[in-house]
Amino acid sequence: MKTATFLTWITLSAASFGWTEHFTFENIATPPGMDPQVGAMDRMPDGRLAVAFHRGEVMFYNPADGSWKLFATGLQEPLGMLTEADGSLLVMQRAELTRLKDTDGDGSADDYETVFDDFGMSGNYHEFSYGPARDAEGNLFIVLGIASNGAPMAAEIRGEFSEIGQVDFKGMTTSETWGKNRGPAGRMYARVKWRGWVLKLSPDGKTMEPYASGFRSPNGIGFDAKGRLLITDNQGDWRPTSPLYDVRQGGFYGHPASLVWKKGWNGGDPRLMDVAKLDAMQVTAAGYFPQGELANSPTWPVIIPKGAFSEGMAGQTVIGEMNQPNLVRVLDDEVDGVFQTALVPMFDGSPLGIGNNRMVFGNDGSLYVGKTALSWAGSKGMTKIKWNGKPFLSLEKIKALPKGFALRFSQPIDANTLKTLSVKRHTYEYHQGYGAPKKNEEVLEITGAKLSDDGMMVTLDVGVLKEKYLYLIDMTGLLSKEGGKILGAKAWYHVVKAPK
Amino acid sequence: MKPIFLSLAAVLSVASAAPDGKQLFTIHCTACHMLDQMVVGPSLVEIRSLYNGKPDEFVKWSIAPQKKRPGAIEMPSQAHIGEEGLRAIYAHIMDVSKGVVAKKQEQGDPFAASPTQTVRPQVQRIFMPNASPASIAVALDDMNSLCWDAGNSRLRYAWTGGFIDGFAYWKGNGSSLATVLGTVKYTEQASPFGKDAAVKFLGYKVKGGLPIFRYSVGEQIVTEAYSPVSEGMGFVRSYAVVTKVPLVLDFPAQSGVSITTDKGKLEGGKLILTPAEAAAFTLTFSLK
Repeated sequence: MKTATFLTWITLSAASFGWTEHFTFENIATPPGMDPQVGAMDRMPDGRLAVAFHRGEVMFYNPADGSWKLFATGLQEPLGMLTEADGSLLVMQRAELTRLKDTDGDGSADDYETVFDDFGMSGNYHEFSYGPARDAEGNLFIVLGIASNGAPMAAEIRGEFSEIGQVDFKGMTTSETWGKNRGPAGRMYARVKWRGWVLKLSPDGKTMEPYASGFRSPNGIGFDAKGRLLITDNQGDWRPTSPLYDVRQGGFYGHPASLVWKKGWNGGDPRLMDVAKLDAMQVTAAGYFPQGELANSPTWPVIIPKGAFSEGMAGQTVIGEMNQPNLVRVLDDEVDGVFQTALVPMFDGSPLGIGNNRMVFGNDGSLYVGKTALSWAGSKGMTKIKWNGKPFLSLEKIKALPKGFALRFSQPIDANTLKTLSVKRHTYEYHQGYGAPKKNEEVLEITGAKLSDDGMMVTLDVGVLKEKYLYLIDMTGLLSKEGGKILGAKAWYHVVKAPK
Repeated sequence: MKPIFLSLAAVLSVASAAPDGKQLFTIHCTACHMLDQMVVGPSLVEIRSLYNGKPDEFVKWSIAPQKKRPGAIEMPSQAHIGEEGLRAIYAHIMDVSKGVVAKKQEQGDPFAASPTQTVRPQVQRIFMPNASPASIAVALDDMNSLCWDAGNSRLRYAWTGGFIDGFAYWKGNGSSLATVLGTVKYTEQASPFGKDAAVKFLGYKVKGGLPIFRYSVGEQIVTEAYSPVSEGMGFVRSYAVVTKVPLVLDFPAQSGVSITTDKGKLEGGKLILTPAEAAAFTLTFSLK
């Protein structure tokens, strides 16, 4: 069955060279002499962008005149930022959530207030800190990445050490013996507090509640337009491919390392637990980004504002991606109250390029993409993407049906091209290994394809949907009535719950 | 609704085929290996120079990699791809790297002259040696620097000479520490408030580029400001402590360091202050 994987190579760019007819892509000049890797972005009410860089600078970019102004310096790997009503910025850096305040009104921050730092640091390079995301009540959500066995822990750590694991503190902190200890330590580990957890903070940051566990390298956290807390994670150990989660209180999201910090945990080293038991505990991903095809390292989710892109995309979520030269658009669906998604490439085959780490929409509807690499494959600087207002064919909505899918498009479809549609499905094995090949892959027969009277809706009949299967609906050959190609030609729908 | 029924072939189960090296490369390798420059791992050009004509060695290494490059992390085993797949990846690498010349590696820190790196004074959070991972490096001026630890709210050490070289940290993803550019002249083994003081870091203000750290010790609120000495080497440490009881701080004597105070008396390594004196007092640390 392993060979099935190899047949799925898809040239994403083939159908979509048309993005540049509808969008402009412009590189924004970053301040001279500075490392231009972007770690965090948000927009001020007046339209300026707050941008945080790899070496800890926070600067304001004014789209009106292209100027940059330094606001703060010296942060360590800022990877998330939120503006506040008074002009302060909340920034997540390695060691803490910090409020940057300009108390004397000179235009630069003079107060670096520690809002929350009650979590552990092992000194391992892979312990990145992400967030915050703010809910409607003002609560803040942060999520903490776990350590990689590419390196041991530092001799001096912050916070408590968990004794749960095969390697003791001395072994976890000694470089000389790491060669023999790195295997038993686990590919990724969470031996200091709250690594791999989502933490919910009160609006003032003074009280914390461990909210959800099971994260690995969650380089994307944000609320969607309907108030769901979305978190992306990276393919790796216990992650067959990169997932998108709808995170709820108390949920366990698949990577076991963080379980050592669960209250009253007595399951021993979670890595050595029965996989079936862990599998039963985990929440199924609301979406999957197939590795090498759609995304290898998905990043931050942002909401598409009204007027920015075509009308049907307003309120949808778009997610960045590090390794593939595209973004990913989220089409949401709900079956019996269960949120599940189809993920669609965006700007594939455009000049966008890779390293798409952070995004923010400007007041004029332009999308600013901040890029980074952090020594992995990636890029640097900022790209501005603007829609020229010309309509184009795209998939706007998808709905799972008892025996297939209903697809709604932005424009009427040429009925003659329906025969080019194809549907495949596969699943993944949940295991400790690094990534997983596709399993049980099969091409499905389309037994019916109905076009609605207005030509905007296609109903596909492919038989009863299977839960925990990722369906690929390939629309590469689809044309609009006017002969326009579809932009974003593939949709990967993860069936969490099959409609009855 | 106008129904359009399509006559497609019966359900196809996906047939087996030879592994596609390009696709496998995209799935498993692209995060760490680029064509013409080293990122996490060596470039395809370099891999070609190491393994051209040696597919068996390539497969062997990929299944059981070891650490061989200082400063780089060890590749995880790629055994899950399988030998057939690894051979396809090998063929792909040899194919795309043929005739390609590697980009010149940048020597040294390309952003060493960045205005935000060269400004003095400077406060920079980064992984520092001999301190917790929540450390803050402070350049007071061109000559005097110190490491203040937000992990336990205390000064760790002070040095004279240059500031730090953070390139090993910044060029990667944080897998190295910054290097102290100078000579450590003063080290504190514990907080002056006591080894087991219940401290909580609250942040810092920046005035004229210099930090004023803020933390609590039990019920006491402390601010601790740093500035360079007006002449020679050393630093000035100005405290404000809100306390209802007399304050006893430990500053054990160290050779080559002279410590003076503007309030109270420093005797036998102990500084005793009344609550009124504790409200504002300044210590000067002169280093040889």
